[in-house]
Amino acid sequence: MSAIGEVKVRVFGSPARGSVARARALLIHPNERVERKGGKPVDRNYRFVNRVVVSYAGRDIAEFDTSTSIGENPSFGFAFRVTEPGTLKVTFFDTHGGRFERAVEVKSA
Amino acid sequence: MRARALTRRSLLKTAAAGAASTLLPRRVAAQGTLASLAPEEPVDKTMQRLFGSRPIRDGAALIALELPLIAEDGGNVAMSVEVKSPMTPQSHVKAIYVLSDRNPRPLNAKFLLTPGSGQAYVATSLRLADTGDVRAVAEMQDGGLFIVKRSVRVVVAGCAI
Repeated sequence: MSAIGEVKVRVFGSPARGSVARARALLIHPNERVERKGGKPVDRNYRFVNRVVVSYAGRDIAEFDTSTSIGENPSFGFAFRVTEPGTLKVTFFDTHGGRFERAVEVKSA
Repeated sequence: MRARALTRRSLLKTAAAGAASTLLPRRVAAQGTLASLAPEEPVDKTMQRLFGSRPIRDGAALIALELPLIAEDGGNVAMSVEVKSPMTPQSHVKAIYVLSDRNPRPLNAKFLLTPGSGQAYVATSLRLADTGDVRAVAEMQDGGLFIVKRSVRVVVAGCAI
């Protein structure tokens, strides 16, 4: 079992400089769904990931606004342009102030 | 008095941060209460809320929306969207919206992209409440909107969502 809050980021292949690479980021997190009692949603403070920010070489390149209708242990695939060798960073934010991030070095050829 | 002024200021500040849809980090730790979630509504209402009366064109030639035909587990349905478009500052895909027609809150996610994305490609796993259409809407830099739909048969529902 992985711990809650663990982030994994994987870059596919070995991208050449100037090319577009794909990556996937995964967060171990329950991403709670809304409970229902007798058909009515239960009003409480659900803990789910509501925002993900992707940055490359210090610049934000994508942002995802997410909801309870993303699966448990949310994972996101995305693309980024390898303009220069740099750090790919993915940060997940949840509704309880949680901030989970991981940075990987991309060594472009 | 001073304390009150500061409170009001910080409130205004957080309100402004919430209103700005930029890539800057939001200062507010958004809450997960029902009131702060999107309302439960039919998908048409969500579409209306998001896009108003803006024309939405058929995106079959532009958008590849990949989903399984049959989802054994509605709690975890792999999805990917790829939009054929240049990703230059002058012309790129600004946002991809993914909506599930049968979910109580139809908007699954909104993906904001930039030219630095290189490709308008996103993937994730969805929770689907029931058998029905999943739609992807691409919003271009010039404001143009394109849509595609795919029907997914859900065997075991992703429960209340």
